[in-house]
Amino acid sequence: MRNSRGWSLVLPMVAVLAGAACSGGGNKQAADVTTGEPSGPVQITVWHPYGKLAAPGETPNFEYGSLTSLVKEYEKAHPNVTINLVNVNPDFTLQKLTPALQGGQPPDVVYMYGSNMPQAATSPQLQDLTALVQQSPSYDWNDFWPGERAVSTVNGKIYGVPALVDNLAVVYNKSLFQKAGLPLPTQNWTWDELLSDAKALTDESRKQFGLAFPVDGSETTVWQYDAMLWEAGGDIVSSDNKKAVFDQSPGVQALSRLQQLAPTMYKDFNPDAGRSEQLFNSGNIGMIITGPWDLAAFPDVKYGVAVMPAFAGQSSHDTIAGPDNWVVFDNGSAKVSAAWSFLQWFTSPQQVLRDSLTDSHLPTRASVMKMGAFQAFYRKFPGEKVFVENLPNVKKARPQITAYPRISQVLGQAIVSVILGKSEPQPALAQAAQQANTILATS
Amino acid sequence: MSTVRRVLGSDHVAGWAFAFPAVALIVLFGIVPIVWSFFLSLEKTNLISPPVWNGLSNYRALLHDPLFRTSVGHTLVYTGIFVPVSVAGGLALAVALNRKLAGIRLYRTAVFVPVVASTIATAIIFLWVFDPVFGVANWALGKVHVGPFGYFQSPNAALYSIIAMTVWGWLGFDVIVYLAALQGIPAELYEAAQIDGAGRWGQFRSVTLPLLGPATLFLVVWSTINALQLFDEVYFLTKGGPLYSTYVVVYYLFTLAFQQGVAGYAAAMAYVLLMAILVLTVLQLWVGKRVVYYAE
Repeated sequence: MRNSRGWSLVLPMVAVLAGAACSGGGNKQAADVTTGEPSGPVQITVWHPYGKLAAPGETPNFEYGSLTSLVKEYEKAHPNVTINLVNVNPDFTLQKLTPALQGGQPPDVVYMYGSNMPQAATSPQLQDLTALVQQSPSYDWNDFWPGERAVSTVNGKIYGVPALVDNLAVVYNKSLFQKAGLPLPTQNWTWDELLSDAKALTDESRKQFGLAFPVDGSETTVWQYDAMLWEAGGDIVSSDNKKAVFDQSPGVQALSRLQQLAPTMYKDFNPDAGRSEQLFNSGNIGMIITGPWDLAAFPDVKYGVAVMPAFAGQSSHDTIAGPDNWVVFDNGSAKVSAAWSFLQWFTSPQQVLRDSLTDSHLPTRASVMKMGAFQAFYRKFPGEKVFVENLPNVKKARPQITAYPRISQVLGQAIVSVILGKSEPQPALAQAAQQANTILATS
Repeated sequence: MSTVRRVLGSDHVAGWAFAFPAVALIVLFGIVPIVWSFFLSLEKTNLISPPVWNGLSNYRALLHDPLFRTSVGHTLVYTGIFVPVSVAGGLALAVALNRKLAGIRLYRTAVFVPVVASTIATAIIFLWVFDPVFGVANWALGKVHVGPFGYFQSPNAALYSIIAMTVWGWLGFDVIVYLAALQGIPAELYEAAQIDGAGRWGQFRSVTLPLLGPATLFLVVWSTINALQLFDEVYFLTKGGPLYSTYVVVYYLFTLAFQQGVAGYAAAMAYVLLMAILVLTVLQLWVGKRVVYYAE
């Protein structure tokens, strides 16, 4: 008797779950959406990444302030639309979307890391924005940086609009350069110069290193290598995303350079713990490759910022960005129309300019950089100048395919094994490419 | 009427009513995910796209996954060292702390502090202490001309460094369990043993050890289950590296499910681990029943 009572609880549950597991197939047709204004009252929910305070009990977050004031202004001009702002940490957006999608009620607009776009695009409820973008010539899609547009696009369809852009550059300790009698990096320096600088700045007895480099083999390692790969003229996978090409000569050239740099490196096996930043700030590290988000971590040293170096005989100072996107989920055409109306306004040049001037975000649109009013940005945030000027160097993006995280993993291990002296660039990359090709063939 | 009253008034109903909140929580957060992840393990899904029925092919793929084999190997090495070292170390410390001494409470507290300290906080401390260049460990060893070692950053030493850290972190738990058991041993047994001419070692071997049997069995089973699911330290300290040298099963399935979008495959791996733990635990309890002495 007791047993049967137990089963009477479990069995219906199993049935429910089995039903849930088997349903859900069949692609939903994209909603028939127009770019017009919503005619009746519509409420949309927006998942955004900004907390109210910069840290608990601290100063108000300028990013949050900028977002809320722009949203209020939009609502005033569009009385039919109410925007419900919800703060969701973008690290966990994908995980939080899982129950929301299973429950059939995803939010309408979501802030999403570019790297999550291919996964998100496997949801039949993610709204394809291609037609909406094409129907709005005044939106001027091509005004967004090429690296951003590439990240917003999966399988040739536009699924997101750029929300935030950054890029990698070399941040260097001015005092260490001067003490070593080295000329400061210029905006057209080379990897040969970086290597000789790194060697001159390395002094084991004083626990001083030329370059901090992440060697956990995660995407933090890989994207720094990606930038070098592009500078050398290579790419990660072929343009049809079918075959790994990072093992060709540019890839070997880039990895050989990291091999030469290895003795000068502070090898950061756990970059998430922030030790490289702390050691740069304490004057133990000459150079660190990082983005604008890290500058606040260096209050104690006099630093300068230089674009990524070029390889000998090449002029490319290509860098990499991790652009974030606003994406839309299909909860019926009225909500999609409202979401698109809001995003179109919110990411227009005028609003991008105002957001940048308030919270130091780099401009997501090329035209904003040329506006007269934007010059105030350089006065307000002088440290960001090189990162802004570096934006045109963001020319490519990592492949927007669901297999990328797994390819990144095998590539990351190859890079680390070379830096740790366990293998040579050519065979390490060849082996990784072979594994990557298997992943590409089976995914 | 009377039947209704009898049913409502029965002990069964009252018992289930009292147990209901706990049972509901266990069903909701324990049983439901277990059942759900079984269905997941038969599917190809990233938790976002509509799942595709995959039969047993996730389980078949496990057989041919070299990284899974590596992870299982590391998990076994870890468990094989962690369990005996932490249980034996806990016993030694408990015996040392089981006496009347000035400041004994302070020592006992000190031993237990690592258990309650958060893993992320201790991980950050360990990262700095065992940093090969800036760490105090290599600095101190250098003073006596030993080292330097790579610790978490050496592919050969990282797994053993994690063992050292987790033994340090969990030792206090074993000590507390053993201390409680030690204090439950009646003093007259020791008196009787003394009268029979047993020395200190004889008393320990013939009185203390057998009477600590149930505590030891509990600690071995509990530590094994814990060790096979090692995750936090790997996630915070090494991310499975350097070069896969600390890849263990739960870390591997975490990366698969939440970073690489192959949740079905990860669920299959979780089910294999669950079965392994189940079999091992039953085996340990079966052996324990035959070996462990239970006092009346």
